[in-house]
Amino acid sequence: MFTTGSKFLIGASAVALLATVIYGVGQDGVLGTIGLASATVGLMALTALNAILRDSNVFLDDDAPVENTAAAQPAPTGSVWPFGFASGAVVVAVGLVSYQPVVVIGVVVLLATGAEWTVHAWAERASSDGVHNAKVRSRLSNPLEYPIGGAVALGIIIYGFSRIILSLGKTNTTVAFFVAATVVVVVGFMIASRPKLGSAAVGSVMAVGAIAVVAAGTVTGIRGERDIAEFETTTIWQEEALLHPEEYAAGAAEGKHPAGLICESPEEFPEADERASETVGMKSGTYQVLLSESGTLDFDPPGEKEAGAVGMVIPRSSTTNVIFRNDSDEHRRLSLDLGRPYTVTDYESEIGNLDESAPPTQICTTLIEPGGAQLLTFKAGEPSFAYESIPNPNGPPGADGFWFFVPGVDTAKLELIVP
Amino acid sequence: MSARTDVANHEGTRERAARATTSLKTVTTRTQGARLAKVGGVVVLTGLIAGCAKNAPQDTFQPRGTNAERINDLALPVFYIAGVVGVIVLGVIAWTVMRYRDRGQPIPVQTHGKPALEIALTILPALILIGVAIPTVGTVMALNDTDDTECVVNVTGQQWWWEFDYPVQDGCMPGGITEPIVTSGQMAIPVDTNVLIRGTSRDVIHSFWIPRLNGKRDMVPGRVHNLRMQANEPGLYAGQCAEFCGLSHANMRMEVAALTQDGFNRWAANQLEAYESPVEGTVAADGESAFVTNCSSCHQVNGLEAADGNPIISRPDVGVYPGAAPNLTNLMTRTDFAGASWSLLREECRKEVWEAEPDQFTDRYLEGVTDDCFNEVDLREWLRNAPAKKPMYADPTKLAETGGLYRGMPYLALSEDQIDLLLAYLLERK
Ligand code: HEC
Ligand SMILES: [Cu+2]
Repeated sequence: MFTTGSKFLIGASAVALLATVIYGVGQDGVLGTIGLASATVGLMALTALNAILRDSNVFLDDDAPVENTAAAQPAPTGSVWPFGFASGAVVVAVGLVSYQPVVVIGVVVLLATGAEWTVHAWAERASSDGVHNAKVRSRLSNPLEYPIGGAVALGIIIYGFSRIILSLGKTNTTVAFFVAATVVVVVGFMIASRPKLGSAAVGSVMAVGAIAVVAAGTVTGIRGERDIAEFETTTIWQEEALLHPEEYAAGAAEGKHPAGLICESPEEFPEADERASETVGMKSGTYQVLLSESGTLDFDPPGEKEAGAVGMVIPRSSTTNVIFRNDSDEHRRLSLDLGRPYTVTDYESEIGNLDESAPPTQICTTLIEPGGAQLLTFKAGEPSFAYESIPNPNGPPGADGFWFFVPGVDTAKLELIVP
Repeated sequence: MSARTDVANHEGTRERAARATTSLKTVTTRTQGARLAKVGGVVVLTGLIAGCAKNAPQDTFQPRGTNAERINDLALPVFYIAGVVGVIVLGVIAWTVMRYRDRGQPIPVQTHGKPALEIALTILPALILIGVAIPTVGTVMALNDTDDTECVVNVTGQQWWWEFDYPVQDGCMPGGITEPIVTSGQMAIPVDTNVLIRGTSRDVIHSFWIPRLNGKRDMVPGRVHNLRMQANEPGLYAGQCAEFCGLSHANMRMEVAALTQDGFNRWAANQLEAYESPVEGTVAADGESAFVTNCSSCHQVNGLEAADGNPIISRPDVGVYPGAAPNLTNLMTRTDFAGASWSLLREECRKEVWEAEPDQFTDRYLEGVTDDCFNEVDLREWLRNAPAKKPMYADPTKLAETGGLYRGMPYLALSEDQIDLLLAYLLERK
């Protein structure tokens, strides 16, 4: 009947023909159709030629060698690779109509199972001895299978764990992993104390564990990450108010948020002021600015504070972290007013060109509960003496320069001096 | 090898050959041993001589500050203990190797363990370590004390120089510091005064270290670290950045000028003196306008005013990556520039300052850079092409990483005439 080569070419011709028809009708692109049609004709010509030459195989009609050579003795073994390969093809197809990343997964499966299948098929013809063939296969495949398989398995377990941790809350994670650690210790102890335990039993325990992790990871992964509170939104509120004043005013009129700049407002803004004091990770090596019960603002630098300080002094252009501690009994925020910028036209005369209408440079923490703390990070690119004689409405009456202040507490003022 | 074979062939008998071989071997060993001894001797001697160096301004073993003395008093005994332990251990090893070397004797009976010895050899080092730990912990605590602070200075590192600013305070001197002082490269402190450094960095991690006054402390962006500076006698104390910080790390030096209290008062008063424009019609006056045009965008000179009477405020953050450039108001009151890497004083004058006796140092230092002592050469080269003198990332075509900002002072394409004017102007900044 048909030789292997002609079977391949007949199939290829049929596919090319089909593609020509589908493309020609569906896309009606002339050039593409001509190309595909040419390919079809070429393939058909090759098919005909091959059918006449019968794969140019002189032994084709001679049954003897097929039956007698040792290498031709069939020793087929069961194989999952064709199944895996087919699954990969399906995944690719699914990916093409759904999400692109799925295609990548499919291609990886195709490549991996294809390679395994090839090696398997090749090893099956090594000799007539099945055991020997299996050895040959292992010798070629294992050096790749073990490390890659191990890495993938580890990756899956780590990914599973990360999903679990991201989904469970802080406390739940602690509990869950305490339990998990206990189980691991107990099981490990049990296995260790029974040296005669078969490898199958140990293996199945491991499998159960792995399945549990993967299952829990899948479930929590689908459930999604727990709510992680959003921070740093005071800047967004501040910018909204300055960049889109009309929309901002409209929002305030509808009662969606308080009117005015967030850094000048003692009121609570939606979202920005929620669970604010959870952000202080830095505990040392920073300045502290303290709002006292009596409503005064003071600072506490690392080490000793200089005697007779008139304000907090920080170097120019240096990123500065300040921990704001609210020791009053109201919810309060710490704000910093770095003055109203002047238009920089020419450094010789820039100080003269104060832009009265320009918005102030302000930064603030969220509203902090009594006893709470939060970090304020900022940098002053200009010295405070550049703002000498430019009034700062957030400082004490008649003050100029840079000022820390607490909206709603008129007595809470602290000068920031940048030499 | 061939000599040995020759001998063997010549003598003809095995015995003789063997004897000849042995004698040849001894000869080689002897000459090799002699050579080794010579080389070793030279190495040891060099080490010893280097240890005696007179001119070692960064020698931790010559402490001049209370904290440096504490460190020295801890390090030396620990070093001696470790030395004794080292000699004993090496001696025992050497003795064992010689005593039990293979002489063809039968393998002795093998035993396992000797509890008494093992316990003793665990307890003894533990005791030694505890003995070392007690003074160590005490010293660490003492070094970190800040509550006896008498003066506070903010120290800020950046690539590749140090800035010192003195906040307004009651401390440092009688009457206190009334206006902020900003300087760079050289930090003036009153002698016998507990000065507290509040240090940070504007770009990467640097480390502040004046070996003769105290240990080192990393200065980390976004954080503030403390370090005590205190000197027991007036003098200049050299140091250098001790944390690799990029291209010109090696040129990031700094010095502490410890002055008598009276000298420090004079220094501070001078720093705060009102700005005086050069006399009209002089070269320096032309230099002032050249400075305003070419340099004021980065370098602050306090009190310098524009034609309209407004103060000129530098904006180094617009052009320089760390956002700062040295304040040049009183450049000529320091004796070094550009990360204390080059001298503003000619060699003889520089020597005078560095080698001044403690009781004369303050007066000599406070003279600053006089016309006679001014070392024009290095500063001229700096102005001609700063990046050629000190490696810096200041090639305008290669600033993509910093968004067009320089790390260091760029090449400014000044003419020699402009440089003359600028030098005349700078020489008056004191
Ligand atoms: C783009 C900014 C910039 C400009 C413009 C500039 N410099 Fe600089 N200059 C620097 C920086 C940055 C340093 C510090 C370099 C270092 O030490 O690593 C420096 C250092 C110096 C120093 C050494 C100061 C010290 O205390 O160590 C002098 C002197 C100096 N510049 C003079 C000038 C003069 C004069 C001009 C004008 C002709 C000028 N500079 C223009 C950025 C600038
Ligand atoms: Cu450095």
